[in-house]
Order: sequence, then C-alpha cells, then structure tokens
Amino acid sequence: MAFEIFNKELEIIDTAKALIETGELSPESQVAYKKLLKDYEKLFKSSKRLVKLSDRNEAELNKVARSLDEKNKMLEKLSVSLSKYLSPQIYDSIFSGDTDVSLSTERKKLTVFFSDLKDFTSTSEDLQPEDLNYLLNKYFTAMTTIALKHGATIDKFIGDAMLLFFGDPKSNGVVEDAKACVRMAIEMQRKMEDLKDMWLNKGFAKPFRMRIGINTGYCNVGNFGSDHRMDYTIIGSEVNLAARLEQSSDTDGILLSAETYALVKDIVDAEERDPIQVKGIARDVRTYAINDIYEGIEDDRRFIHKERPGLTCLLDIDKIPSDQKNDVLNDLEALIKRVKES
Amino acid sequence: MTKVNIPATERSPEVDFDFSVNKFALRGESYPEDVNAFFGPLMDQLESHFENQDAADILFTFELIYFNSSTAKILMGLFDMFDQAAESGNKVIVEWCYEEDDDNMEELGEEYGEDLEHADFVLKKVAAD
Repeated sequence: MAFEIFNKELEIIDTAKALIETGELSPESQVAYKKLLKDYEKLFKSSKRLVKLSDRNEAELNKVARSLDEKNKMLEKLSVSLSKYLSPQIYDSIFSGDTDVSLSTERKKLTVFFSDLKDFTSTSEDLQPEDLNYLLNKYFTAMTTIALKHGATIDKFIGDAMLLFFGDPKSNGVVEDAKACVRMAIEMQRKMEDLKDMWLNKGFAKPFRMRIGINTGYCNVGNFGSDHRMDYTIIGSEVNLAARLEQSSDTDGILLSAETYALVKDIVDAEERDPIQVKGIARDVRTYAINDIYEGIEDDRRFIHKERPGLTCLLDIDKIPSDQKNDVLNDLEALIKRVKES
Repeated sequence: MTKVNIPATERSPEVDFDFSVNKFALRGESYPEDVNAFFGPLMDQLESHFENQDAADILFTFELIYFNSSTAKILMGLFDMFDQAAESGNKVIVEWCYEEDDDNMEELGEEYGEDLEHADFVLKKVAAD
C-alpha cells in the first residue's frame, strides 16, 4: 500500500472487518464488535476531516499572511518615497506614533538657522537651466547631508534659501542644540569653499556663496495649515530674526544673535558687530560674526583646499584611487622635503 | 425559552434559534475562545428540544464564513443530532449556505452533507457580501 498518513487506521478497519467475516465471534460479540467498528469508522472520519480542515485553515492563513506581507512591502516602499519629502526626525516621530498628526503647536526654545545664496538671482540669470539645476542640486545635497549629520530638522527650502532648526521634535538641551547648529553652519561654510573650488574648476565663473544667520529663542513649533494639508514648521519673531541676521551676515559668513552666542561662546571665536533692529522685537539685537571654531572638524573633511602665498593645495581624498595612494604620499613627502630644504 | 438570539462577535457566530417554529440558524465566523462555554448550553437545549419533537418540520441553516477545528467537531455533533431527529420521524432540512466565491465552504458543506443518512441536505450558493 502506498504511503498515506492514515494507513494504520485503514489497516485496523480491514483487520476488524476480516475478523467479523470469519464468523468466529459469538453472536453477542459480533453485534457489539460491529457497533464498535462503526463508531471507530466514524471517529476515523472525524479525525480525517479535522486534519483536513486544520490544513485548509492554515493554508488560508498563510495566503493572508503573504498578502499582508506584500501590502507591507508596498507600504514600506511608499513610506520611503514619502520620507524624502519630510525631515527624518518628523518622519520617524510620525511613523513611530510619537507625534500626533493634528493641528497643534507648542512653544519651545529653538535654535533657528537661516541661509541664503548671495546674489542668487543675478548669478542664476547667467546660467543655463541645466547648469543651474546641477549647481543647486549639488549645493542642496551637500548641505542636507551636513544638516542631517548634525541632527537638524529641515523645515523647508525656499528657492535658494534654507530654514532649519534644532530643538524639536528631538532636543539635547538648549545649549547642545545651539552648539550643534553652529558646528553645522561652520561645516557648511567649509563645504561651500570646497564646492566653490570644484565649480571654478568646472568653469563656473561665479560660484554660489552663502550667508548664514542663527538665532535662539522661543518659537511656536508644530503643525500649521488645515486638516487637509498641514505643514510642520516654526513661526514667531525669533524666526524672522534669524532671517534678518542672515541678511546682515558677511558673504561666506555666519552671524549669530547674542542669545545664540551666549550658548556657544566656549566653542567659537567671534567678534561683535553692529546691533540690528527687527520688527516684533523691541530691543536692539546684538550680533556676533564667527571667525573660527576651537574644536577641530577638519579631520572629517575629505576635500581640502589651502591657499597661502606660494601654495595652492587642492586635495580630494575620495578621488584618490586606492592603488595610487602611495604615489600621492610620495609626491607630498617630496614636496615637504623640498620646502624643508629651501 | 422559545427563542435564543445571540449577536455575532468577532470570534463567535450569530445564533438565531426559534424553537417554537423549529427554525435555527448559525451565521458568521466561529472560533470562540472557549468553544465548550459557547456551544455547550446551545447543544443541550437543542438535544432536549429534538428529543421532544414528533413529525415536526425542522430547518437548520448554516451561513458560516469561517470556523476552526473545535467548531468543526461541534458541527459533527449537530449533524449527528439532525440525523437522529430525522430517523425518529421528523422532517429535518439542513441548509448549508456558502458565498459564491468560497470554494472551501462549499467543499466543507459537501463533506458534512455526506454524513447525513436521514436528514435532507441543501447546498445553497449565496451572493458574497
């Protein structure tokens, strides 16, 4: 008999039937035995049906699980696409359920960053649209990478301007938030120097140059708009002040309000500039322009540009092929030797 | 006790028993947390009711969408009960309704129907919700 999960039970039934047919049982036993066999057959039928039903339900369950799995994958793909329209912190807090997606705002002390490209309109007028797209994408990609590295919440891009902030939805405390913002701004300006060199090398005569304003103060942060279309953003006079600081900043510079400077003065060297007046803020706002940072973030840089009398150095570490690293080191050492010997 | 009406829950079927006219129905999904607690009293009531019927017209309708193995065992008991009631002289009709696209429920109905020797069995296709 070919294998069948119920072979044993079938054999028992066959043996029982054979025994009845021999006529060896007494008439009373024959009746009782037949009844017993009938009950056994019924029980066997029940067992078969239950096993079948259980298998069938399991198959259905697996089918549903597979379909759920496919739907989950689809949703995951969709949410990854959607995430690119949101700041990662906002995306994470919405998807983890920490943030209530409703029209509600909070008053929080935030460090607000505002940047703009100087003379963007006149520069862009001289460019072909393809070149402008290339420069802008390169610029925004580089700046966004740095912003995310430092934990900024990217509020929005407004043309060539960027509005970022620190302190919501996640905060490391007002001081650390302000320091993270300033470190980010310095790294951005250094990256702009690298980009400027790259763009000049590519033949763009007027590379972009950025101005940055940073302010710390109480803002309203949350979801503004309508129930159908809301925007997670910040509003308040302190935000306007950050924009106003940006307008007053040197080209390639970073201008801080006194509130931010007070929080970061142990990590930056800055000089006081003329105070500014902003609508909605009664006081004159004292301002500070950053000269340098005491902490080294030089080590992280992969593209290094040094310019001194007698020296122009352009080093793009990522572009050195691994098999030519020693040649580059030899060249540099030979140069160092020559400078030492001169 | 002429009627028993229990609304359906997520895990248990709707029970619609009218003892006075001998019309009974189970509808929905059945995988109760405690199958004995849910079906035990109903089985007892049905058993004592059928024992007291004589030449009665009995209609039992199943409109089940899903049931688990424990419920399957209960159904086997019910089908035994129907057959016994029919054997003792009652006219018992068992109506098994399945949604048009539900091959599983149709097949299960066919299998249960095969068990009946005395009661009449009707397999009925109904529109899906």
